[in-house]
Parts: sequence; structure tokens; C-alpha cells
Amino acid sequence: MTTAVVDDKLSATFAALANSTRRAILARLVEGSATVNELAEPFEMTLPAISKHIKVLERAGLVKRGHHAQFRPCTIEASRLQEVSTWAEQYRSVWEARFDQMDTYLTQLKAPQGKKGKQ
Amino acid sequence: MTNKPDSENSVVIERSFNAPADLIWKMWTDPDHFKAWYGPRGATIPVAKLDVRVGGIRLVCMEMTTPRGQMQMWFTGKHLVVAEPIRLNYTESMSDENGNVKSPSEMGMPEGHPTTTEVRVELQEADDRTEMILTHIGIPSDSPGAIGWNMAFDKLAIYVDAQVNE
Repeated sequence: MTTAVVDDKLSATFAALANSTRRAILARLVEGSATVNELAEPFEMTLPAISKHIKVLERAGLVKRGHHAQFRPCTIEASRLQEVSTWAEQYRSVWEARFDQMDTYLTQLKAPQGKKGKQ
Repeated sequence: MTNKPDSENSVVIERSFNAPADLIWKMWTDPDHFKAWYGPRGATIPVAKLDVRVGGIRLVCMEMTTPRGQMQMWFTGKHLVVAEPIRLNYTESMSDENGNVKSPSEMGMPEGHPTTTEVRVELQEADDRTEMILTHIGIPSDSPGAIGWNMAFDKLAIYVDAQVNE
């Protein structure tokens, strides 16, 4: 239950995009990969603060980090951005999930209560 | 205000339900039924005021638990078309708990999100099943913020295309 919302990748992506620093980081990454140090440069922020923003972007699937132990450059995750690039596409999965729930609810309404059979 | 749906700014979903149209109509218009399915996974709908008549106002509250605690989102709108049980059109905007419309950017949403959208529900019953067509249309916003964010996405789209064609 605690993970229900966290599981919803779309919410995570949306939440990640709802921050101007993180959008600025993404805009920078459109130009090409960059290390955390490079990403931190234009901001008056500490490295840990920038790292935190990058982790949010990473969890949302918007940014990938390389495996080079030392620098681990950040790269923008194109496919994820494509999915969320229009609000309409964001809404598609929201509605699909809702209608799945409507289906389940309709089935519950029709089913006799409990396993006792007919009242 | 009518907008011709285009694929960029609208989403169309067709679903078939194993229930008569009268019941699907109630899913949309009866607050108790509406609350039972409308919340996204992990969310509840503590408030659903649905004044289902043309010009009637809606106010819906969505509540969810996030890692940062309880979060409430309010939505308001107006019913535009009410034709039981075949057609329901209404507008939707983010709002405060009193139904005062808030712009998406005020609510911390990406600015490409239109302030007002329109939801259209069409129902057609056949053999005890109901075909439902949902159209959700964005009413274009020409605020400078919206343009900025769209431009950012245009830039990203070019990048995405380049990646795909690599």
C-alpha cells in the first residue's frame, strides 16, 4: 500500500518535472551528457543538493547515470520524455487505470456479497 | 468553447463494459459510484460534488499519501452537455477547495498543461454491454509560461527523434 503511489511511474515523472531546477537540469542534458559537477555549475546550490535532484530524475526514469565509477555522467532518458511530452499522453494512462477500476467495481456490484450465495 | 480534438492536444479512449448504459451513466454522475473508481491507484476521493445539469458545477477532491505526507488535489468544472444516458461533457480545471481555478503552473505542474480541459463521455448500449468513448481535450493556453514549456518540449522532441533515428 505504501508503494502504491510510488509505483505509479507516471506520478513520479510528473512530480520530477514539477520543479524548475530539475527542468533546468533536463534542459542542460538535452545538449549532451554531463557529470554532476558540470550540472551543478550554473546553480547556486551545493553538490549534495544537485545530487538529490538528479536522484529524483533518475527514479522517475528521466535520467540515466553511467557506470564509470568516478564520474558517472548523467544522460537524458529520451523514451521516458517522449511518454510524458504531451499532457494528453499523461492522461491516457490515468484514464486507462481508472477504467480498469471501474471494471473491477462493476464486477463487485454484480457479485453477491461474500461467499454465502443468495440472500 | 469548442475545440476540435487533435492528437497533440487530446486523448481518445474507447472501452467496452459489461453493464448497461444506465449503470455506466451512474458511474459518472452518482457521487458514491464516482468515488469508487475515479481515484488513481493509491488515491481516494473524499469529495465529489456533481451538480449534473447543464451549467452545474463539479468539485472533486483527490487525496493521496505521498512520501511527503497526505496530499490533496482539487478539481472544478462545469457541465456542458447532460444527455442521460448517452452523453456527458464537462470542463475540468485544477482549483482550491472552494472551486477557485488555479493555473497548472501555480500548482507546480509543467506549464504545457492546459488550465482548462474538457472531458466528453459518449455511451452506446448494445447487447447488455456499453461502449464508452472518452475524449479529453485540452483548451489551448497561450500564456507565456505555456509557450516556454512547449518550446522546451519541442527541443526535447528533436533530441528524441535524433536518438530514435541513430
